[in-house]
Amino acid sequence: MLKVTAMAVAAGLFASSASNAQSQAPIKVGAVLSLSGPAAVFGLPERDAIEAVVEEINRTGGVNGRKIELVLHDDKTDPSEAVRGVTQVTRDGVVAIVGPSTGSGILAAGPVAERLRVPLLAPAGTASITDKKNSFYPWVFRVAPSDQTDIHKILADIAKDGKRRIGVFYQEDAYGKVGLDYGQQIAKELGLQIVASVSAAYTATDLTAQATQLREAKPDAVFMQISISALGASFHKAARQVGLDVPLYGNAGLAQKSFLDAMGDSGNGVRVLSIGNLPYEPIDPETKLVTLLKARGKTPQGWGELVGSNGLMAIMAAIKAVKGDLSGPAMRDALETICDFPTYSRGKGCFSKEVHDGWGEDVLVITEVDRGRLKTRP
Amino acid sequence: MTYWRARSNTLVLLACATLAGAVAARDPAWLDIAIAIVINALVALSVGLTFGQAGILSAAQGSFAAIGAYTTAILTVRLGWSPWLALPVAIALPAGLGHGLARLVTRLAPLAVALATLTLSAIIEIVLRSWDNLTGGYVGLAGIPSVFAGQPIAFYGLAVGMLALAVLAYENLMLSRFGRGLTTIRGDRARAIADGIAVPGLLSAAFALAAAMAGAGGWLYAHYFSYLSPGSLGTELSISVLLMMVVGGARHILGPVAGAVILGVLAQLLPAQEVQGLFYGGALIVILLVARNGLLGLVRREGTL
Amino acid sequence: MGYLAELVVRGVLLGAVYALLALPMSLTFVTVGSIDFALGAYAVLAAAVGSTVGGLAGIAAGLGAALAAAVAMAAIFAGLKRAGVEEPITISLASFGLAVAIGSLILSIWGTRAFMLHSFDDVWVMLGIRISPQSLINFAIGMLLLALVYLLLYRTGLGRMMRAAAINPLGAELSGIPVTTLQTGTFISGGLLGGIAGLLILFSAGLDFTAGLSLTLSCFGAAILLGAHGPIRAFLGGILMGVVEALSSGLASGAVSAIVPLVVIMIVLALGAVGGVRFAGDRP
Repeated sequence: MLKVTAMAVAAGLFASSASNAQSQAPIKVGAVLSLSGPAAVFGLPERDAIEAVVEEINRTGGVNGRKIELVLHDDKTDPSEAVRGVTQVTRDGVVAIVGPSTGSGILAAGPVAERLRVPLLAPAGTASITDKKNSFYPWVFRVAPSDQTDIHKILADIAKDGKRRIGVFYQEDAYGKVGLDYGQQIAKELGLQIVASVSAAYTATDLTAQATQLREAKPDAVFMQISISALGASFHKAARQVGLDVPLYGNAGLAQKSFLDAMGDSGNGVRVLSIGNLPYEPIDPETKLVTLLKARGKTPQGWGELVGSNGLMAIMAAIKAVKGDLSGPAMRDALETICDFPTYSRGKGCFSKEVHDGWGEDVLVITEVDRGRLKTRP
Repeated sequence: MTYWRARSNTLVLLACATLAGAVAARDPAWLDIAIAIVINALVALSVGLTFGQAGILSAAQGSFAAIGAYTTAILTVRLGWSPWLALPVAIALPAGLGHGLARLVTRLAPLAVALATLTLSAIIEIVLRSWDNLTGGYVGLAGIPSVFAGQPIAFYGLAVGMLALAVLAYENLMLSRFGRGLTTIRGDRARAIADGIAVPGLLSAAFALAAAMAGAGGWLYAHYFSYLSPGSLGTELSISVLLMMVVGGARHILGPVAGAVILGVLAQLLPAQEVQGLFYGGALIVILLVARNGLLGLVRREGTL
Repeated sequence: MGYLAELVVRGVLLGAVYALLALPMSLTFVTVGSIDFALGAYAVLAAAVGSTVGGLAGIAAGLGAALAAAVAMAAIFAGLKRAGVEEPITISLASFGLAVAIGSLILSIWGTRAFMLHSFDDVWVMLGIRISPQSLINFAIGMLLLALVYLLLYRTGLGRMMRAAAINPLGAELSGIPVTTLQTGTFISGGLLGGIAGLLILFSAGLDFTAGLSLTLSCFGAAILLGAHGPIRAFLGGILMGVVEALSSGLASGAVSAIVPLVVIMIVLALGAVGGVRFAGDRP
């Protein structure tokens, strides 16, 4: 009898000390982002924001009394490196991962996340990452608006201005091609007509021929499905030169300082979709993120920071929603229940079993180029 | 015994690969890198065969690998075949293409061949990314069934086995009169014709074998990474394996393999992706200036394979 | 003016830039027998430096940078020749290594930003076609350099020596012509002309770090299109290449417009334009 009681007491003490130990240990969160290579222009701001927010969370006491430990890995804009990154940070004991930064990285890492049972919070617009046909669908949660949402917002703005005939200029890659396909579907829904679509390779030396082809189709507006600044600026110049004098709209990939600098003053009036307007006209709660970034000596670059921080804040919300021990599968289940949780971007983030696309049009803004800055259009 | 002594390259490869596997097995990340290196080595071996022995510089081996990879991906994902059934097709299709192509390129000057194959590689990449219905276009094909899923060591063993078979085939070729024929062709084509060697046929066969090796590498890639996009294997790989061949030594059978190992390991140790090109370009220039026969050329006697 | 005519005019203006690079490419090809893969890289380097420094000083700095890179290539060539290597493929591989290295250098220093400057805001209308003054300047500079190179090759002693070295290197060497020096000179001229081309593109369509190798490939196509024998053919090849690209970009899209220029290059190569009948293992 005494032996049983002693053992029970010992077990109780052991259990409480174990849970105490667990409640002291930091929660590990992974981030597999493009810190080098072409996608670094988005990956680096994502990382900066995540680090700033983690520091702030730890400064104010952590989550559930525990600090957050960030495990970072560079996916080098390479899908196989992204897979390696996910494997490595999972081995280090993370409960969830923000990343990889690129669509192809997410598609490559999806099966691995499914096998290792750790959820990915994906900051990319590529549609197929949350396709229900993927066997890894339960493990991928999108934290940026999808490309479809982006294009719908732009085309709706064009329609609002009374324009009906649209020309599309797109880059020769997945982003461009798939964007064109969405554009065609969405244009039909909105009663717009795509009168011409012309593409160019990243390395095209001159775009006047493409601009001329678009001009001949007599559009009321031209929409650029471009994420490379040189291509966007070159097209803008070519359009002005050949007499394609219609409003130009750029997708979110062009909301970069490099694009604005390259166009110079001649770019005034070009409209660019953006996720929030962190660098030029931040509103609450974006302003809080600006403060955090500036405190670490970082200047807001564009929307990478917002997307990265949304991913981290979703993880925080999920941690609070988990009852019991934290693990990859528990986090995954919790992520499907969170909605309208605190973030640093405008708009509302919401996940459910059926919907793994967390954010919608309310986080997007149409901006207009004005003397090297992006002004939010009302 | 003398059979194996003459085929020492295969034995050396198997020994080194087993040792490397034992070391890498402790860490999944290193095992993953090792598998990637073996796949690269297979494709690099194919360039070594055509350039090192026949003097034909093909900058399209990455594309042959891509064709092998897409073949198996389409057969297994869209038609539900088993990966093992798709393997012979993934090897045969590039081989057939290589055979046909050889007639076109092997009569050109080395520089022209290199440029023609480079251009061809670019064309194949454009076709792969535009044929949406077949190849998935830019988005590529995801969910390719894994072989030995969840057992990377078994996959590593498979990959090493296929590389060893390729090296064995290469050694057998060079030991035969066909291999001697290739060496003669590289040195003096007129003499080869005078000797009665069927030059176009032999070159086509060598090209086909090389394309088959590359296709096998593609098959391994597809069933390991389970995701294929037009950029995965292609022009960039063609150029990387060229570099591996030059660094390791084009004339030596294991040269490209050595190059693949060296560059694969170094790529992991380099800090940032931006400076990698600086390093690779510099390495290429230094090797060409200082050790034209590659690192294996420094180590082994002139004339041995 | 008709749509097709407009495309052709735009193609000619674009081709002037290709022609600028095709000139040194054909020079190197004729005197050394190999290709300088780094030509496109010189152009991008000049544009990168030029856009950072800005203004007239930027132009000088850009040209300087391109020349420095070409001097590096010339040194590599001299080193290879001294080591006893003369095979064109090896020299071309070395130039490829340099091209990759320079591209990586540009990416690490400047990142993925665009290099673009604006020269003229107004547009001239000639024969119903809107043309920017910059494109006309590009064309004029191309014609001027073509004339200079032609005069150099066919009306000066230096040119005679270069042609002699190209036709019969051994004989020229024996006649006291410094063949290696001349060959080294063609690489450096590549730097100068490549730098000019890069700066002209900087002021026209702009470019970024990815442009290097693709520019080299297009200009290589331009150089061999009509036979890589002399400067006039190279120049005309450049113009023709520009027209081919403009027509395929203006009339088609996507895969077709990307493939057409490549197929043209393939056909020209397959017809044996490069290296004549000298295949691997041919007797010297």
